[in-house]
Amino acid sequence: MGDYVVFHDVAWHGVYALYFFLIGISAALYFFSALSFYREEFKPLRATSFYGAFALLAVAGLILVGDLSQPLRFVNTLNPGYWNMSSPLVWGTILIVLYGLVSVWYFLKLGDEKAAKLPAVIGAVIALGLPIYTGFDLAVHQARPVWNTPLMPVLFVALSLVSGAAVASFLAKGEARLLGALRQIMLWTTGATAVMVLSLLITTAYGGSSDELTYMFMTSGTIGGIFVGLGILGGTAVPLVLLLLPFGKERAGLLLSSVLILVGGLSLRYSILMGPQIVQTFFS
Amino acid sequence: MSEELRTSSIETRGVAGKKRYAMVIDTRRCIGCMACQVACKAEYDTPLGVNRTWVPYKVVGTYPVVKKQFLPRLCNHCDDPPCVRACPVEATYKSDDGGFVLQRYERCIGCRACMASCPYNARFMLPASRTYTKITNVVDKCTFCFHRVAQGLVPACVQTCIGRARVFGDLNDPASEVSYLVARNATQVLRPEQGTKPHVFYIGADRNHTEFGRDIYRRPDVLEGDRAAFQRTRA
Repeated sequence: MGDYVVFHDVAWHGVYALYFFLIGISAALYFFSALSFYREEFKPLRATSFYGAFALLAVAGLILVGDLSQPLRFVNTLNPGYWNMSSPLVWGTILIVLYGLVSVWYFLKLGDEKAAKLPAVIGAVIALGLPIYTGFDLAVHQARPVWNTPLMPVLFVALSLVSGAAVASFLAKGEARLLGALRQIMLWTTGATAVMVLSLLITTAYGGSSDELTYMFMTSGTIGGIFVGLGILGGTAVPLVLLLLPFGKERAGLLLSSVLILVGGLSLRYSILMGPQIVQTFFS
Repeated sequence: MSEELRTSSIETRGVAGKKRYAMVIDTRRCIGCMACQVACKAEYDTPLGVNRTWVPYKVVGTYPVVKKQFLPRLCNHCDDPPCVRACPVEATYKSDDGGFVLQRYERCIGCRACMASCPYNARFMLPASRTYTKITNVVDKCTFCFHRVAQGLVPACVQTCIGRARVFGDLNDPASEVSYLVARNATQVLRPEQGTKPHVFYIGADRNHTEFGRDIYRRPDVLEGDRAAFQRTRA
Protein backbone atom coordinates (compact mmCIF):
# COMPACT_ATOMS: atom_id res chain seq x y z
CA MET A 1 0.00 0.00 0.00
CA GLY A 2 1.14 3.53 -0.58
CA ASP A 3 2.58 2.93 -4.06
CA TYR A 4 1.76 5.64 -6.58
CA VAL A 5 0.10 7.76 -3.93
CA VAL A 6 0.51 11.43 -4.78
CA PHE A 7 0.50 13.95 -1.94
CA HIS A 8 -0.31 17.62 -2.29
CA ASP A 9 1.24 20.55 -0.51
CA VAL A 10 -0.51 23.51 1.06
CA ALA A 11 -0.03 26.71 -0.92
CA TRP A 12 0.60 29.16 1.91
CA HIS A 13 2.70 28.08 4.87
CA GLY A 14 2.66 29.43 8.43
CA VAL A 15 4.92 32.39 7.72
CA TYR A 16 2.03 33.99 5.85
CA ALA A 17 0.06 34.03 9.11
CA LEU A 18 2.97 35.89 10.72
CA TYR A 19 2.72 38.46 7.92
CA PHE A 20 -1.02 38.87 8.55
CA PHE A 21 -0.27 39.31 12.26
CA LEU A 22 2.47 41.92 11.87
CA ILE A 23 0.82 43.98 9.13
CA GLY A 24 -2.41 44.00 11.16
CA ILE A 25 -0.57 45.33 14.23
CA SER A 26 1.23 47.90 12.07
CA ALA A 27 -2.06 49.15 10.63
CA ALA A 28 -3.68 49.46 14.05
CA LEU A 29 -0.68 51.27 15.56
CA TYR A 30 -0.76 53.81 12.74
CA PHE A 31 -4.49 54.20 13.32
CA PHE A 32 -3.90 54.91 17.03
CA SER A 33 -1.22 57.43 16.15
CA ALA A 34 -3.67 59.24 13.88
CA LEU A 35 -6.35 58.99 16.58
CA SER A 36 -4.14 61.15 18.80
CA PHE A 37 -5.21 64.17 16.71
CA TYR A 38 -8.80 63.66 17.79
CA ARG A 39 -8.55 62.02 21.22
CA GLU A 40 -6.34 63.68 23.82
CA GLU A 41 -5.60 60.45 25.73
CA PHE A 42 -3.90 58.93 22.67
CA LYS A 43 -1.39 61.78 22.40
CA PRO A 44 1.39 59.96 24.32
CA LEU A 45 1.15 57.21 21.69
CA ARG A 46 1.52 59.45 18.63
CA ALA A 47 5.24 59.07 17.99
CA THR A 48 5.93 55.68 19.58
CA SER A 49 3.05 53.86 17.92
CA PHE A 50 3.95 55.40 14.56
CA TYR A 51 7.57 54.23 14.89
CA GLY A 52 6.28 50.79 15.86
CA ALA A 53 3.94 50.78 12.84
CA PHE A 54 6.76 51.76 10.52
CA ALA A 55 9.17 49.16 11.91
CA LEU A 56 6.53 46.44 11.63
CA LEU A 57 5.73 47.51 8.07
CA ALA A 58 9.38 47.02 7.18
CA VAL A 59 9.55 43.62 8.89
CA ALA A 60 6.22 42.44 7.42
CA GLY A 61 7.27 43.61 3.96
CA LEU A 62 10.52 41.67 4.20
CA ILE A 63 8.62 38.57 5.36
CA LEU A 64 6.19 38.89 2.45
CA VAL A 65 8.94 39.31 -0.13
CA GLY A 66 11.08 36.60 1.49
CA ASP A 67 8.19 34.16 1.32
CA LEU A 68 8.04 34.44 -2.48
CA SER A 69 9.87 31.62 -4.21
CA GLN A 70 11.30 34.32 -6.49
CA PRO A 71 11.91 37.16 -4.01
CA LEU A 72 13.62 39.53 -6.46
CA ARG A 73 10.61 39.35 -8.74
CA PHE A 74 8.59 41.30 -6.19
CA VAL A 75 9.38 44.19 -8.57
CA ASN A 76 6.91 42.55 -10.99
CA THR A 77 4.15 43.41 -8.54
CA LEU A 78 5.15 47.09 -8.80
CA ASN A 79 4.77 47.11 -12.57
CA PRO A 80 1.29 48.44 -13.46
CA GLY A 81 1.63 46.76 -16.85
CA TYR A 82 1.51 43.39 -15.11
CA TRP A 83 -1.26 44.17 -12.64
CA ASN A 84 -4.24 41.86 -12.57
CA MET A 85 -6.77 43.95 -10.69
CA SER A 86 -8.99 40.94 -9.93
CA SER A 87 -6.30 39.66 -7.56
CA PRO A 88 -6.40 40.99 -3.96
CA LEU A 89 -2.61 40.66 -3.91
CA VAL A 90 -2.47 43.62 -6.29
CA TRP A 91 -4.75 45.63 -4.02
CA GLY A 92 -2.34 44.75 -1.21
CA THR A 93 0.69 45.82 -3.22
CA ILE A 94 -0.87 49.20 -3.99
CA LEU A 95 -1.95 49.68 -0.37
CA ILE A 96 1.45 48.71 1.06
CA VAL A 97 3.31 51.05 -1.31
CA LEU A 98 0.93 53.92 -0.54
CA TYR A 99 1.13 53.13 3.17
CA GLY A 100 4.94 53.25 3.03
CA LEU A 101 4.97 56.55 1.13
CA VAL A 102 2.42 58.21 3.42
CA SER A 103 4.37 56.91 6.44
CA VAL A 104 7.48 58.72 5.18
CA TRP A 105 5.42 61.87 4.65
CA TYR A 106 4.01 61.55 8.18
CA PHE A 107 7.49 60.95 9.60
CA LEU A 108 8.79 64.15 8.00
CA LYS A 109 5.90 66.19 9.44
CA LEU A 110 5.62 64.44 12.80
CA GLY A 111 6.95 67.39 14.79
CA ASP A 112 4.43 69.81 13.26
CA GLU A 113 0.98 69.42 14.84
CA LYS A 114 -0.88 71.04 11.94
CA ALA A 115 1.04 69.60 9.01
CA ALA A 116 1.13 66.05 10.44
CA LYS A 117 -2.64 65.72 10.67
CA LEU A 118 -3.26 65.22 6.96
CA PRO A 119 -0.75 62.36 6.41
CA ALA A 120 -1.95 60.85 9.69
CA VAL A 121 -5.56 60.71 8.51
CA ILE A 122 -4.75 59.57 4.95
CA GLY A 123 -2.37 56.93 6.32
CA ALA A 124 -4.98 55.70 8.80
CA VAL A 125 -7.52 55.20 6.01
CA ILE A 126 -4.93 53.30 3.94
CA ALA A 127 -3.92 51.32 7.04
CA LEU A 128 -7.53 50.24 7.49
CA GLY A 129 -7.31 48.79 3.97
CA LEU A 130 -4.47 46.46 4.96
CA PRO A 131 -6.45 44.02 7.16
CA ILE A 132 -9.36 44.33 4.72
CA TYR A 133 -7.21 43.25 1.80
CA THR A 134 -5.63 40.39 3.80
CA GLY A 135 -9.16 39.19 4.58
CA PHE A 136 -10.06 39.30 0.90
CA ASP A 137 -6.77 37.51 0.14
CA LEU A 138 -8.42 34.47 1.70
CA ALA A 139 -12.09 35.22 1.01
CA VAL A 140 -11.81 35.18 -2.78
CA HIS A 141 -10.82 31.50 -2.94
CA GLN A 142 -14.23 29.97 -3.53
CA ALA A 143 -13.11 26.39 -2.97
CA ARG A 144 -11.91 26.91 0.61
CA PRO A 145 -14.37 26.59 3.47
CA VAL A 146 -13.93 29.19 6.26
CA TRP A 147 -11.93 31.47 3.92
CA ASN A 148 -14.74 32.00 1.43
CA THR A 149 -16.99 33.95 3.76
CA PRO A 150 -17.84 37.66 3.87
CA LEU A 151 -16.69 37.61 7.49
CA MET A 152 -12.99 37.37 6.62
CA PRO A 153 -12.24 41.06 5.91
CA VAL A 154 -14.27 42.17 8.96
CA LEU A 155 -12.64 39.53 11.17
CA PHE A 156 -9.19 40.66 10.05
CA VAL A 157 -10.05 44.29 10.86
CA ALA A 158 -11.15 43.22 14.36
CA LEU A 159 -8.02 41.08 14.81
CA SER A 160 -5.87 43.96 13.62
CA LEU A 161 -7.41 46.41 16.10
CA VAL A 162 -7.28 44.02 19.04
CA SER A 163 -3.68 42.94 18.38
CA GLY A 164 -2.64 46.56 17.79
CA ALA A 165 -4.31 47.69 21.02
CA ALA A 166 -2.50 44.89 22.87
CA VAL A 167 0.87 46.10 21.57
CA ALA A 168 -0.10 49.74 22.25
CA SER A 169 -0.83 48.88 25.89
CA PHE A 170 2.89 48.07 26.27
CA LEU A 171 3.83 51.37 24.64
CA ALA A 172 1.44 53.35 26.90
CA LYS A 173 3.97 53.48 29.77
CA GLY A 174 1.28 53.33 32.41
CA GLU A 175 -0.76 56.34 31.24
CA ALA A 176 -4.03 55.60 33.04
CA ARG A 177 -6.43 57.33 30.61
CA LEU A 178 -4.74 55.80 27.60
CA LEU A 179 -4.79 52.33 29.16
CA GLY A 180 -8.47 52.80 29.90
CA ALA A 181 -9.19 53.69 26.27
CA LEU A 182 -7.10 50.75 25.02
CA ARG A 183 -8.95 48.45 27.42
CA GLN A 184 -12.24 49.58 25.89
CA ILE A 185 -10.94 48.91 22.36
CA MET A 186 -9.64 45.48 23.38
CA LEU A 187 -12.87 44.62 25.12
CA TRP A 188 -15.10 45.48 22.16
CA THR A 189 -12.88 44.04 19.45
CA THR A 190 -12.23 40.84 21.41
CA GLY A 191 -15.99 40.53 21.83
CA ALA A 192 -16.52 41.12 18.11
CA THR A 193 -13.82 38.55 17.29
CA ALA A 194 -15.49 36.02 19.59
CA VAL A 195 -18.87 36.53 17.90
CA MET A 196 -17.37 36.20 14.42
CA VAL A 197 -15.29 33.12 15.24
CA LEU A 198 -18.33 31.49 16.84
CA SER A 199 -20.37 32.29 13.75
CA LEU A 200 -17.63 30.83 11.54
CA LEU A 201 -17.52 27.66 13.62
CA ILE A 202 -21.27 27.14 13.48
CA THR A 203 -21.64 27.79 9.74
CA THR A 204 -18.65 25.54 9.03
CA ALA A 205 -19.98 22.74 11.22
CA TYR A 206 -23.32 22.87 9.42
CA GLY A 207 -21.79 23.18 5.93
CA GLY A 208 -21.21 20.66 3.16
CA SER A 209 -18.72 17.81 3.09
CA SER A 210 -15.55 19.89 2.76
CA ASP A 211 -16.85 22.29 5.43
CA GLU A 212 -17.54 19.38 7.73
CA LEU A 213 -13.99 18.07 7.26
CA THR A 214 -12.54 21.54 7.75
CA TYR A 215 -14.47 21.82 11.00
CA MET A 216 -13.05 18.47 12.07
CA PHE A 217 -9.46 19.56 11.29
CA MET A 218 -9.90 22.90 13.01
CA THR A 219 -11.32 21.46 16.19
CA SER A 220 -9.12 18.39 16.67
CA GLY A 221 -5.46 17.45 16.58
CA THR A 222 -2.68 20.04 16.38
CA ILE A 223 -4.63 22.68 14.46
CA GLY A 224 -7.53 22.15 16.89
CA GLY A 225 -5.19 22.81 19.83
CA ILE A 226 -3.99 26.02 18.22
CA PHE A 227 -7.42 27.19 17.05
CA VAL A 228 -9.61 26.23 19.97
CA GLY A 229 -7.03 26.07 22.77
CA LEU A 230 -4.81 29.07 22.05
CA GLY A 231 -6.99 31.07 19.68
CA ILE A 232 -10.51 30.84 21.09
CA LEU A 233 -10.10 29.89 24.74
CA GLY A 234 -6.67 31.24 25.73
CA GLY A 235 -6.54 34.17 23.33
CA THR A 236 -10.17 35.34 23.17
CA ALA A 237 -12.39 33.99 25.97
CA VAL A 238 -9.89 34.29 28.86
CA PRO A 239 -8.77 37.87 28.05
CA LEU A 240 -12.41 38.84 27.51
CA VAL A 241 -13.27 37.64 31.01
CA LEU A 242 -10.09 39.19 32.44
CA LEU A 243 -10.90 42.57 30.91
CA LEU A 244 -14.40 42.47 32.37
CA LEU A 245 -13.10 41.73 35.87
CA PRO A 246 -11.84 44.52 38.18
CA PHE A 247 -8.34 42.99 37.75
CA GLY A 248 -8.57 43.79 34.04
CA LYS A 249 -8.78 47.48 34.85
CA GLU A 250 -5.42 47.36 36.63
CA ARG A 251 -2.25 47.68 34.59
CA ALA A 252 -1.09 44.13 35.40
CA GLY A 253 -4.43 42.66 34.35
CA LEU A 254 -4.47 44.67 31.15
CA LEU A 255 -0.93 43.65 30.21
CA LEU A 256 -1.68 40.01 30.98
CA SER A 257 -4.75 40.26 28.73
CA SER A 258 -2.60 41.88 26.05
CA VAL A 259 -0.13 38.98 26.07
CA LEU A 260 -2.97 36.47 25.81
CA ILE A 261 -4.61 38.49 23.02
CA LEU A 262 -1.37 38.56 21.03
CA VAL A 263 -0.92 34.79 21.39
CA GLY A 264 -4.58 34.33 20.42
CA GLY A 265 -4.35 36.70 17.45
CA LEU A 266 -1.42 34.83 15.95
CA SER A 267 -3.03 31.44 16.69
CA LEU A 268 -6.35 32.38 15.09
CA ARG A 269 -4.67 33.71 11.98
CA TYR A 270 -2.45 30.61 11.73
CA SER A 271 -5.25 28.09 12.15
CA ILE A 272 -7.64 29.96 9.83
CA LEU A 273 -4.87 30.03 7.24
CA MET A 274 -3.83 26.38 7.56
CA GLY A 275 -7.02 24.46 8.43
CA PRO A 276 -8.87 24.81 5.11
CA GLN A 277 -5.68 24.22 3.16
CA ILE A 278 -4.92 20.94 4.90
CA VAL A 279 -8.36 19.62 3.99
CA GLN A 280 -7.78 20.55 0.37
CA THR A 281 -4.61 18.42 0.22
CA PHE A 282 -6.81 15.36 0.73
CA PHE A 283 -8.79 15.90 -2.47
CA SER A 284 -7.66 13.13 -4.88
CA MET B 1 -23.17 26.03 -23.55
CA SER B 2 -25.99 28.43 -24.04
CA GLU B 3 -25.42 32.17 -24.02
CA GLU B 4 -27.38 32.56 -20.79
CA LEU B 5 -25.07 30.23 -18.89
CA ARG B 6 -21.89 31.94 -20.08
CA THR B 7 -21.22 34.29 -17.23
CA SER B 8 -17.68 35.42 -17.92
CA SER B 9 -16.12 37.05 -20.97
CA ILE B 10 -13.10 34.77 -20.55
CA GLU B 11 -15.15 31.69 -21.52
CA THR B 12 -14.71 30.28 -25.02
CA ARG B 13 -16.90 27.17 -24.97
CA GLY B 14 -19.36 27.40 -27.81
CA VAL B 15 -17.88 30.64 -29.17
CA ALA B 16 -17.99 30.54 -32.94
CA GLY B 17 -14.65 30.63 -34.69
CA LYS B 18 -12.69 29.64 -31.58
CA LYS B 19 -11.28 26.32 -30.49
CA ARG B 20 -12.04 24.97 -27.04
CA TYR B 21 -9.84 21.99 -26.32
CA ALA B 22 -10.99 19.42 -23.82
CA MET B 23 -10.11 15.96 -22.62
CA VAL B 24 -12.50 13.09 -22.05
CA ILE B 25 -11.30 10.39 -19.68
CA ASP B 26 -13.14 7.10 -19.83
CA THR B 27 -12.31 5.58 -16.45
CA ARG B 28 -13.76 2.23 -17.58
CA ARG B 29 -10.81 1.98 -19.94
CA CYS B 30 -8.12 3.03 -17.45
CA ILE B 31 -6.05 0.08 -16.21
CA GLY B 32 -3.84 2.11 -13.87
CA CYS B 33 -0.60 1.44 -15.78
CA MET B 34 0.59 5.02 -15.02
CA ALA B 35 2.05 5.29 -18.51
CA CYS B 36 0.41 8.73 -18.85
CA GLN B 37 2.17 9.90 -15.71
CA VAL B 38 5.52 8.57 -16.96
CA ALA B 39 5.04 10.08 -20.44
CA CYS B 40 4.28 13.44 -18.86
CA LYS B 41 7.32 13.20 -16.60
CA ALA B 42 9.50 12.41 -19.62
CA GLU B 43 7.99 15.20 -21.73
CA TYR B 44 8.59 17.89 -19.13
CA ASP B 45 11.36 16.60 -16.85
CA THR B 46 8.88 17.00 -14.00
CA PRO B 47 10.83 16.54 -10.74
CA LEU B 48 10.18 13.91 -8.09
CA GLY B 49 7.35 14.68 -5.68
CA VAL B 50 5.32 16.83 -8.08
CA ASN B 51 3.17 15.88 -11.06
CA ARG B 52 1.40 17.56 -13.95
CA THR B 53 -0.79 14.50 -14.27
CA TRP B 54 -1.27 11.70 -11.82
CA VAL B 55 -3.49 8.68 -11.37
CA PRO B 56 -4.78 8.28 -7.81
CA TYR B 57 -6.53 5.03 -7.00
CA LYS B 58 -8.79 3.86 -4.26
CA VAL B 59 -9.59 0.31 -3.32
CA VAL B 60 -13.36 0.15 -3.03
CA GLY B 61 -15.39 -2.65 -1.47
CA THR B 62 -14.60 -5.52 0.88
CA TYR B 63 -12.80 -8.73 -0.12
CA PRO B 64 -13.70 -10.61 -2.27
CA VAL B 65 -15.90 -7.91 -3.85
CA VAL B 66 -13.26 -5.26 -4.41
CA LYS B 67 -12.10 -2.99 -7.20
CA LYS B 68 -9.28 -0.53 -7.68
CA GLN B 69 -10.88 2.68 -8.92
CA PHE B 70 -8.59 4.97 -10.91
CA LEU B 71 -9.16 8.63 -11.63
CA PRO B 72 -6.53 10.14 -13.96
CA ARG B 73 -5.99 13.73 -12.87
CA LEU B 74 -4.57 16.85 -14.49
CA CYS B 75 -5.32 20.55 -14.77
CA ASN B 76 -8.95 20.96 -15.79
CA HIS B 77 -8.20 23.94 -18.05
CA CYS B 78 -11.31 25.58 -16.69
CA ASP B 79 -13.32 27.95 -18.84
CA ASP B 80 -13.49 30.31 -15.85
CA PRO B 81 -10.21 29.51 -14.07
CA PRO B 82 -9.82 30.84 -10.51
CA CYS B 83 -6.02 30.66 -10.83
CA VAL B 84 -6.06 33.27 -13.61
CA ARG B 85 -8.19 35.51 -11.44
CA ALA B 86 -5.86 35.07 -8.46
CA CYS B 87 -2.49 35.71 -10.10
CA PRO B 88 -1.37 39.26 -9.24
CA VAL B 89 0.99 39.67 -12.22
CA GLU B 90 -0.87 37.78 -14.96
CA ALA B 91 1.80 35.10 -14.95
CA THR B 92 -0.99 32.62 -15.49
CA TYR B 93 -3.43 33.27 -18.28
CA LYS B 94 -5.94 31.58 -20.51
CA SER B 95 -5.24 31.45 -24.22
CA ASP B 96 -8.02 33.06 -26.17
CA ASP B 97 -8.09 30.39 -28.85
CA GLY B 98 -7.98 26.86 -27.52
CA GLY B 99 -8.75 27.58 -23.88
CA PHE B 100 -5.34 26.43 -22.60
CA VAL B 101 -4.54 27.73 -19.12
CA LEU B 102 -0.84 28.49 -19.32
CA GLN B 103 1.99 29.88 -17.24
CA ARG B 104 4.54 32.60 -17.99
CA TYR B 105 7.47 31.20 -16.01
CA GLU B 106 9.62 34.31 -16.39
CA ARG B 107 6.93 36.46 -14.82
CA CYS B 108 5.80 34.19 -11.95
CA ILE B 109 6.82 35.63 -8.57
CA GLY B 110 6.06 32.44 -6.65
CA CYS B 111 3.35 33.89 -4.39
CA ARG B 112 1.35 30.63 -4.75
CA ALA B 113 -2.00 32.46 -4.94
CA CYS B 114 -2.87 30.30 -7.97
CA MET B 115 -2.16 27.16 -5.95
CA ALA B 116 -4.40 28.42 -3.15
CA SER B 117 -7.22 29.13 -5.58
CA CYS B 118 -7.18 25.84 -7.50
CA PRO B 119 -9.92 23.47 -6.30
CA TYR B 120 -8.16 20.53 -8.01
CA ASN B 121 -4.62 20.62 -6.58
CA ALA B 122 -3.42 20.85 -10.17
CA ARG B 123 -0.65 23.35 -9.47
CA PHE B 124 2.66 22.84 -7.72
CA MET B 125 5.88 24.65 -6.92
CA LEU B 126 8.92 23.52 -8.87
CA PRO B 127 11.94 22.74 -6.67
CA ALA B 128 15.11 24.81 -6.61
CA SER B 129 17.13 22.38 -8.70
CA ARG B 130 16.27 20.15 -11.64
CA THR B 131 18.27 17.73 -13.73
CA TYR B 132 17.89 19.09 -17.25
CA THR B 133 15.60 22.10 -17.08
CA LYS B 134 16.46 25.56 -15.85
CA ILE B 135 12.92 26.57 -14.90
CA THR B 136 12.90 26.38 -11.09
CA ASN B 137 11.16 27.94 -8.07
CA VAL B 138 8.04 28.92 -9.97
CA VAL B 139 4.58 27.41 -10.11
CA ASP B 140 3.98 24.81 -12.79
CA LYS B 141 1.03 22.82 -14.07
CA CYS B 142 -0.30 20.78 -16.96
CA THR B 143 -0.46 22.78 -20.21
CA PHE B 144 -2.59 20.30 -22.18
CA CYS B 145 0.75 19.90 -24.05
CA PHE B 146 0.22 23.24 -25.76
CA HIS B 147 3.51 22.87 -27.66
CA ARG B 148 2.44 19.50 -29.09
CA VAL B 149 -1.13 20.54 -29.88
CA ALA B 150 0.19 23.61 -31.72
CA GLN B 151 2.03 21.18 -34.01
CA GLY B 152 -1.03 19.03 -34.62
CA LEU B 153 -0.13 16.36 -32.07
CA VAL B 154 -2.15 15.20 -29.07
CA PRO B 155 -0.86 15.58 -25.49
CA ALA B 156 1.82 13.11 -24.40
CA CYS B 157 -0.50 11.40 -21.92
CA VAL B 158 -3.13 10.86 -24.63
CA GLN B 159 -0.55 9.60 -27.11
CA THR B 160 0.74 7.00 -24.68
CA CYS B 161 -2.53 5.77 -23.15
CA ILE B 162 -2.68 2.06 -23.95
CA GLY B 163 -6.42 1.72 -23.30
CA ARG B 164 -7.44 4.95 -25.11
CA ALA B 165 -8.90 6.08 -21.83
CA ARG B 166 -7.83 9.65 -22.60
CA VAL B 167 -9.25 11.36 -25.66
CA PHE B 168 -8.34 14.93 -26.60
CA GLY B 169 -9.90 17.35 -29.06
CA ASP B 170 -11.81 20.51 -29.83
CA LEU B 171 -15.15 20.59 -28.06
CA ASN B 172 -16.29 23.49 -30.24
CA ASP B 173 -16.02 21.19 -33.26
CA PRO B 174 -19.19 19.05 -33.31
CA ALA B 175 -17.42 16.48 -35.47
CA SER B 176 -14.58 15.87 -32.98
CA GLU B 177 -14.30 12.67 -30.97
CA VAL B 178 -14.55 14.55 -27.66
CA SER B 179 -17.79 16.20 -28.80
CA TYR B 180 -19.14 12.78 -29.73
CA LEU B 181 -18.14 11.25 -26.39
CA VAL B 182 -19.56 14.13 -24.36
CA ALA B 183 -22.79 13.99 -26.37
CA ARG B 184 -23.27 10.23 -26.25
CA ASN B 185 -22.15 9.41 -22.71
CA ALA B 186 -23.10 10.46 -19.23
CA THR B 187 -20.11 12.56 -18.24
CA GLN B 188 -19.15 14.48 -15.16
CA VAL B 189 -16.60 17.09 -14.22
CA LEU B 190 -14.83 17.51 -10.90
CA ARG B 191 -16.33 19.88 -8.34
CA PRO B 192 -18.83 21.52 -10.71
CA GLU B 193 -20.25 23.50 -7.80
CA GLN B 194 -17.14 25.68 -7.84
CA GLY B 195 -18.29 27.32 -11.05
CA THR B 196 -14.94 26.83 -12.76
CA LYS B 197 -16.43 24.99 -15.77
CA PRO B 198 -13.71 22.35 -16.05
CA HIS B 199 -12.79 20.93 -19.46
CA VAL B 200 -11.72 17.48 -18.39
CA PHE B 201 -14.79 15.25 -18.62
CA TYR B 202 -15.01 11.88 -16.95
CA ILE B 203 -17.02 8.87 -17.98
CA GLY B 204 -17.66 6.49 -15.11
CA ALA B 205 -15.76 8.40 -12.43
CA ASP B 206 -16.15 6.87 -8.99
CA ARG B 207 -17.62 9.07 -6.29
CA ASN B 208 -14.96 7.84 -3.84
CA HIS B 209 -12.58 10.02 -5.85
CA THR B 210 -14.77 12.92 -6.81
CA GLU B 211 -16.08 13.67 -3.34
CA PHE B 212 -14.25 14.57 -0.17
CA GLY B 213 -14.45 11.01 1.11
CA ARG B 214 -15.04 9.91 4.63
CA ASP B 215 -11.84 7.88 4.40
CA ILE B 216 -10.10 11.07 5.51
CA TYR B 217 -11.30 10.00 8.95
CA ARG B 218 -9.64 6.60 8.49
CA ARG B 219 -6.17 7.36 7.28
CA PRO B 220 -3.83 4.35 7.23
CA ASP B 221 -0.68 4.86 9.33
CA VAL B 222 1.55 3.84 6.45
CA LEU B 223 0.18 6.64 4.29
CA GLU B 224 0.39 9.15 7.12
CA GLY B 225 4.07 8.31 7.52
CA ASP B 226 4.60 8.92 3.80
CA ARG B 227 2.56 12.11 3.95
CA ALA B 228 4.62 13.42 6.86
CA ALA B 229 7.84 12.61 4.97
CA PHE B 230 6.50 14.44 1.89
CA GLN B 231 5.59 17.50 3.96
CA ARG B 232 9.05 17.58 5.51
CA THR B 233 10.53 17.91 2.03
CA ARG B 234 8.17 20.82 1.26
CA ALA B 235 8.73 22.76 4.47
